[in-house]
Order: sequence, then structure tokens, then C-alpha cells
Amino acid sequence: MLATTLFVIIMFGRSSTELTQTYPFLILYAAWAVLIAMVTWKNWWLDARLSFLTHGVDMAVFTGLAFSSTGWSSPFVLFFILPLLSAAVRWSWRETALTATVLIVLFMIGGFILSGSVGFELQRFVLRAANLLILTLLLIWFGVHQRFARTFLQADDFDGLAENENPLGRALSRALQGTQATSGALLVGPPGEDPSDGFAVVDGKSRSFSAERALVRDTTALADSALLFDVPRNRALTRAPEGRFRFLPASAAIDVGEAHELGLTQGLIAEVRTGAQQGWLVLWDIPDLSTDYIDVGRELGSTTGAILDRHILLSAIESGAAARTRLSLARDVHDSIVQFLAGAAFRVEAIKRSAKGGASVGSELDELKRLLVEEQGEIRGFLMALRRDRELELADALEELRALAERLSQQWSVDCSVSADGEHGSIPIRLQLDLHQMLREAVANAVRHGGAKRIDVELSVDNDQLRLHVKDNGSGFAKANGEDVAEPWSLKERVERAHGSIQLVSEPGSTNILIRLPLAGAAA
Amino acid sequence: MTRVLLVDDHPMIGAALQMLLRGSDYELLDRARTVTEAGKKIAGLKPDLLLLDVNLPDGSGLDVLRKISRSRSRPRVILLTAGMDEAQLLTAADLDPEGMVLKTSDPSLLTECMDAVVAGKKWVDPEIAERTRQAEAKAASAPPLTRRERELVELVRQGLRNRDIASELGVTEGTVKVYLHAIFDKFHVENRTELALRAAELIAR
Repeated sequence: MLATTLFVIIMFGRSSTELTQTYPFLILYAAWAVLIAMVTWKNWWLDARLSFLTHGVDMAVFTGLAFSSTGWSSPFVLFFILPLLSAAVRWSWRETALTATVLIVLFMIGGFILSGSVGFELQRFVLRAANLLILTLLLIWFGVHQRFARTFLQADDFDGLAENENPLGRALSRALQGTQATSGALLVGPPGEDPSDGFAVVDGKSRSFSAERALVRDTTALADSALLFDVPRNRALTRAPEGRFRFLPASAAIDVGEAHELGLTQGLIAEVRTGAQQGWLVLWDIPDLSTDYIDVGRELGSTTGAILDRHILLSAIESGAAARTRLSLARDVHDSIVQFLAGAAFRVEAIKRSAKGGASVGSELDELKRLLVEEQGEIRGFLMALRRDRELELADALEELRALAERLSQQWSVDCSVSADGEHGSIPIRLQLDLHQMLREAVANAVRHGGAKRIDVELSVDNDQLRLHVKDNGSGFAKANGEDVAEPWSLKERVERAHGSIQLVSEPGSTNILIRLPLAGAAA
Repeated sequence: MTRVLLVDDHPMIGAALQMLLRGSDYELLDRARTVTEAGKKIAGLKPDLLLLDVNLPDGSGLDVLRKISRSRSRPRVILLTAGMDEAQLLTAADLDPEGMVLKTSDPSLLTECMDAVVAGKKWVDPEIAERTRQAEAKAASAPPLTRRERELVELVRQGLRNRDIASELGVTEGTVKVYLHAIFDKFHVENRTELALRAAELIAR
């Protein structure tokens, strides 16, 4: 497109000599431009790959054209502004500065080469060099301000909060980083109410607070853009929907008393909206605060809302998983209690019949009492698990797994034991149920398919992973004829649902199953 | 002496029945804890009477009952269950075991049931009988299958996948899914396995 534009410009008001000189150059360049356009059409990868090469060719061609067209109508400015603008839009101010430097050097070299020739005008050359320098500075400035488009909109890398971390704090810190502001506050509340839940960072010190009064008085001023304020000078600036600036006193836009309370001087306020809340993002002590921040602030407000939404979403997913865990536990406990009570009733009936026949039933009653007390402990454990929050101490998880291993040992007549490599830390409650079910299936598989008599289970937490190693002494998953291997499909499916991985090494006399489960971000 | 095999995965039930049958006319041969184990032990031990739980770790006791129903000399069967849902009740009624006892009923009812079954009678726990009647009435009041639904249920019963059903009926896989979900909703069926289990009953309408 650039080549065609230049071609048309050059065509007008040119002498035939100039045309003869520039024609082949332009035709070649136009062919090159068409070729590049064709190969990079809908190919972003190649477009990025060839960007430096095409940029270099553009600079060389434009320098050549600048010297092949002389006189008052030479499209000199166009020749130079296009590569610079292209660099500023495409990359950053650094590449713009580099492009400008290369162009100036090329221009100087061309000037020196032509300085002795007829028609070379020194005064015009110096003026053009000066214009080039001014253009360069302008476009570098433009490139510097291009950074705003890339600084923000980083909600996607929000991957959940650390324990006890305030989501408002995390969202605010992103905004502070993006603008290099040293102080800021984030206030949120339910829609239709004045946002009052706040989190502030002032000169590196953070605190939660509750706002007593509404900070923003004129909410319409913030409906479509961010608002810049200067409290000491009582100035505020925002943008009307049609794009023009709207000037108003700071005291009309914000509550000055609340602003003093927060320590606001000069900065910006942007609206923050999430699915369930709305509020204000306030940033102050921003270096180089300019009118650009009116638009930047709006983007920041959206990003902050997206971060808060993402937190709510992740939190809801985790809570949903925990609720499903509780439901499964409740079903488990219900089934277990029904079966136990039915068994106990059969035992009582048996004891009654024995007593009727004159037999001594003392030992049988003692055994039944022991079983009842044991079951009572089990039920208490289940109920505690149901009341538990989303996280479970690893030591408690182990205790429950050991109790389950004991039950499985009785149920399958095997020796099943659980050990751990360290008992510190915590795991999400949703993983606890997965662990229980996986252990149940691993033990059932080991006994059913391998006829195992001993099963050793080892649990460990390794960085962001939970590792479950189940080792048994059975004949493994290899079938009797030694040809096929029966895969533990249901176990594999369960591990995959928890976004984990499973490794199976099976040979007669020893089967090892290593399951890895991610601790974070896999609740979905 | 009647030779009994218990199919139940809960250790408490196993131990309790062993005590209950001690000194009686019943000999508890062994306990199977899974569907697979049950198949092997029934073939190996050839019991006279099977006490069969419905919910087992690797499947349903009703599958065990269906499998042995095809053999000529099968043991008499008493379903011993903590509870069954409507689909299970209808399937159980269809398979027609000699006895059905709820684990939650009075334990003396189990021996009463066992004695009746050994004597060649049928014995069904009153609560199960009532719930089966209700389930049957509810199923009877449900609308009948359309011709297309009938074809689809038959193909599901044959174990065909959606893709194969689609090519068999000359429709898209998406249409099969839509039809299937409509059938699930119509007959309060949870999944295709349950639909396959109830296929005979639904087609017979």
C-alpha cells in the first residue's frame, strides 16, 4: 500500500528524467510489497518474523527515494514519517529511536555522497535534517505513550490467592504496578449502594478499611471515562461520552472530606464493575500523570473488575468442588451408617437367639460394644469433615486416610498401611475425597486383579503437587497368560478428572502406582 | 442343611450373618465382595441359596441375578439390600428373585424369608412390595414410547454407541442425543445404562 501511495505521489509533477530513475526502483519495491502482503496474509507468525526485514527494506527504499526526488514537491516528510510511525505503532519507543537513528545516518551518508553533485542544496539538506530530528523526537514520544496499551489487561495471569490474601489487595497491586503509582485504594460494594469495603496502599503500607461516606459524588462524571483530580487546586477532568474534555471542580466530583481521609492529592479515579459488585479504583502519586490517563484509567478499571471477577469465579469453583466433596462424604456416611446399623441389628438378633439357647453371650456383647464405639469415632470423623472449610491440614488428611486404610484392610483381608513424607501443610478438601476414592479403587484393584496381601501407601506434598504412591505385592495388572495388561481404567478416569497424572509399573510380585495431583487451580 | 453364599462388600454384614446363621439349618459357605467374585464363587461352590446385595463396588447385584437367571440350575436368590431406587425396583421385579429383604427391616424377617424361599415360596419385604407397586403405577402412567423412541431404545439395549445409532437410523449424532435426553426426561432415567436395563419394560408398553 505504501509503495502504491508513493508511486502516485511520485507520478505527479515529476520530470521524465526523475521518472526514468525512480520507475524501476518503485516497480521492484511494489512487487516486493505485494509479495510480503501475500505471504503474511492471515499469517501472524510470518508477519512477526519478517517485520524487521521489511522494516529495514522500507528504510533503505525510502532513503533512496528521498534523494531521487528533489525540489519543493519532494515527499520527504512522507518518506521518513512512515517508517517511524510504523515502528512506533508496531513496537515501542526504543525501536522508534533506533529506526530514527538509522534513517538519520542513511540520510547523512546520502547527503555526503551527493554533496558534490549538481543540484545538491546544502541549506535544504540541513533544514531537512533538522525536521527529521524533530519528527524523530515526536514519534519517540508517541512510542513511549504506546506502552499503556500493553501495561495493563493482565487479568488472565491471576491464578488464585495465597492463604489469607485479600482479593482487593491483589487487584490494587496490579493497578499500582501498571501505573507506577505509589498509593492507591480500591472500594467495592453491592450494586446500588455506596462502595464501602476498602483496601488501601499508601506509600507501601497496606490496610483494609471501611469508608463511612461515598467517595464519588458525581457518578455520572465517571460513567464513561476515568476522572483526574487535583484536590489542593480543586480541579477535576473527565471525558464526555462524545470524547471532549469536561472540566469540573474536584469538590463537585468527589467528597473532599473522604479524599483527605484517604490522603488523596492528585491522581485518578476509575469505575470498577464486577458481576456482583461495583466500586472505585483510586490511584494517586502517579509519575507523569497526564490526560492520557483518562483513557488508561478506564482500561485499568475494567482490568481490576476482571481480576476481581476471576477471583470470584475461582473461589466459586473451589467452593463448588468442596460442596460436591461434602455431598459425597454425606452419601458415604449415610451408606456406611445404614450398613453398620443393619449389621449391628443382625448381630443383636444373633445374640438374642444364642441367649435363648442358653449360651453365654458376654464376649459377643463386648465385641458388639467395641464395634459400636469404633463406628461412633468414624461418624464423628465424617461429621468433622463435613463441617470443615476448604482447606484441610495434611496431618488430618493422613489420619483419615489411615482410618480408611484400616477399614479397607478389614474389608479386603489385606495389610494396608499409609505413611507420609512430612505432615506439614494443607490440601484442598476436594482432593481429600479424591484421595479416599483413589485409595479405595487402588486397594480393590490390587486385591481383585493381583490377589495382593500387602499394600503400602505413601503420601507426600511436593511443591504444588500431591503425590500418592501405592505399592502392592500382588501379581500386578499383567494377566495370567502374560500377554495383556489390564489397565486400571476407573482409577485413571478419576485421576484425569482431578487433572492429575498416573504412572503404573506392574510386574508379578510388585505393582507401583504413582499418582500426581495438582494442589491449585484444578477444581474445575 | 442349605448351603448359602453371601454377596455383600460390607464386613459388618458378613460377620453378623455368620453369627446369625451359626447353629441354624443354614451353612454360610463363603462371602463374595464384588460382582466378579460372585460369578466365580457361584460357579465354583454351587450354593443352594444366594443372599445378594444390590450395590456392590464393581457393579450391581442385579447384574449377577440377570446373569444367573439365564442358567438352567441357578440357586434361589434373596436380594438383601439397604435400599433400591425406582429403576432398580422395576428391574428387580422384572428379574423376579425368590425373595427380597431390606437390611433396615427387623432382622428376624431375613430368617423368615430364607425359610419361606427354601420351602419353595416367594417372600418379599412388605416395604419393597409397596414401593414396587408405586414405581410400577408411576411407570404405567408415563406416556408410551413413540415409534422412533422405541427403535432408539432397542438400539441402546443392543449396546450401540450414539454414532452407530445415528447411522442406523439415518440421522445425525446430535439428533440421537436430543432424542435420548427426551427419553431420559420422559421416563426419569439417569443414563443409558439405566435405559438399557429398563428397555424391555419400556418397549413392552
